[in-house]
Amino acid sequence: MVEPGVQGVSLASDTAPPGSVRARLRPGPFPVLPVPALLLVGVGLILPLILIARYSLAEFDPADIALQGLTLENYAKFFGDPFYREVLGRTVAVAAVTTLCCLALGIPAAYAISRSPSAGRRSLLLLLAIVPLLMGNAVRVVGWMVLLSDGGVLNTLLMASGLREAPLRILYTSTAVIVSLVAVLLPFMVITLQSVFDRINPAFEEAAATLGAPPWTAFFRVFVPLAMPGIFSGGLLVFILGMNAYASPVLLGGPAFHMMAPMVYEQAIEAFNWPFASALAFILMAATLVLTLLSGRALEKRYGRL
Amino acid sequence: MRPFPRLADRSFPLAMGTLAIAAFALLVLPLATVAWVSFFEGKIISFPPSGYTLDWYRAAWEMPRFRDGLQTSLRVGLVATAVSLATGVPAALFLARTRFPGRAAIQSVLLGPLIVPGIVAGVALYMFMIETEIATGLQTAQTFGGLCLGHSLIALPWTVRLVTAQLVGMDRQAEEAAAVMGARPLTVFWRVTLPAIRPGLVAGGLFSFVISFVDLEKSLFLVGPGTTTLPIAIINYLEWSVDPTIAAVATAQIAVISAVMIVTDRFFKLTRAF
Repeated sequence: MVEPGVQGVSLASDTAPPGSVRARLRPGPFPVLPVPALLLVGVGLILPLILIARYSLAEFDPADIALQGLTLENYAKFFGDPFYREVLGRTVAVAAVTTLCCLALGIPAAYAISRSPSAGRRSLLLLLAIVPLLMGNAVRVVGWMVLLSDGGVLNTLLMASGLREAPLRILYTSTAVIVSLVAVLLPFMVITLQSVFDRINPAFEEAAATLGAPPWTAFFRVFVPLAMPGIFSGGLLVFILGMNAYASPVLLGGPAFHMMAPMVYEQAIEAFNWPFASALAFILMAATLVLTLLSGRALEKRYGRL
Repeated sequence: MRPFPRLADRSFPLAMGTLAIAAFALLVLPLATVAWVSFFEGKIISFPPSGYTLDWYRAAWEMPRFRDGLQTSLRVGLVATAVSLATGVPAALFLARTRFPGRAAIQSVLLGPLIVPGIVAGVALYMFMIETEIATGLQTAQTFGGLCLGHSLIALPWTVRLVTAQLVGMDRQAEEAAAVMGARPLTVFWRVTLPAIRPGLVAGGLFSFVISFVDLEKSLFLVGPGTTTLPIAIINYLEWSVDPTIAAVATAQIAVISAVMIVTDRFFKLTRAF
């Protein structure tokens, strides 16, 4: 049994220069390895994005969808019409309120996970946050429709307890959209915050308490500033996802509730106005980018580099 | 300095605890409600239910749109998983083992599908497919192949992330030992590297499947007659009616995903995947 091993070693020294074990570890020429994946992203994402960038500058002809002309008309149409400006404003407002609610609920939830007294409770709570995330939006929207409809769980409870005579109209209002968006996006917040909270040594909070800080002071003056990078990245993630939400506004907001992502779909698929749909998609991406950069600058001013 | 120390001391854990409970309730309530309602006897959902039945599961199975949707979703999920692994694992190997200036740029490109919003990427891919069809006559929009392309794309970043993480954390001494003993590079890869990163591979594959299975935004633009996925079938039905049948369909989706996640968790702790 010694024979093959010895042979192997001698072979290695025969065919490769000295100290080349690492060179031999290289499984083939490295630079080709990412090529198939890059092709997939190139064809499936990058070329299409370039195409819609061009389309957003094209003229719209209802009789012919072929790409033609070069104009800023689509962007002018959006910013010139109060209806579209209002849709963008509503999208930003819904995303902002959703982000604040997710912070108010996500910080305590992540704190409960991170400071769990036992490992068992810790993994149970973490799974409670992760599992709904992986179930998908469609299923969770069904749940919210059942909970919030006129004859749903919430209204049945309200009327049985005598708090309301008639059902409270929640479904097809902005409240329903925000409630379901908060629930849909909360896992992203909790998971992001929890990983940052875990890295904050509890000794800091204990030191603050020992030095006489009441719990609220210790929390807001010691813990929150330390957790700021996590709070920022969690808030950013939820805001971006909220800006781009589709299922909640369409199904829980009803036909009269307009947000940007559903409007991109309507313009592309139902109105066949590809140039305008492309412009909407770019305005949505740009607005998200600008607002995240601005909020980043504002927070950096207050808390230093994140 | 602290006028009501006892009150203050208790108000903090009380407030934090209440909000945390509210947060977890918000996560669990919709799923629990869906599962509960799927057993209600009456066709119109009312609380409390008049009785319980399993009929809605049979009714849902007998509706072609849901049965076909489930089949399409399972098939697309399997193809997306295969493509995501076949392209993502070599890319992860490259990212984990190479040091050269373009590495960070390649990584951002590969994680791109995770960053570009689903609706924007979806509308872009849809227009690109139609344009390709006009230019070459090759139909991809609203076909099974086109759907698979879109789903492979959103699954890819998960394989890249999870497998790269596993490779970076791996001890390379076994590979070096195998190479010293005379194993050829490909043998080292198949016999040493792949088994060592198996948890990452399994997690990457199963996450790819789940991400594809529950996708909504991308599929909206890519589905066509005969290639409707289950989540799209669910939201199309929801625009008309909310009844125990749709709750049964949603509960079936919950069951499929739960099964996949239980398997995943045995190889790779779910809590480590994010």
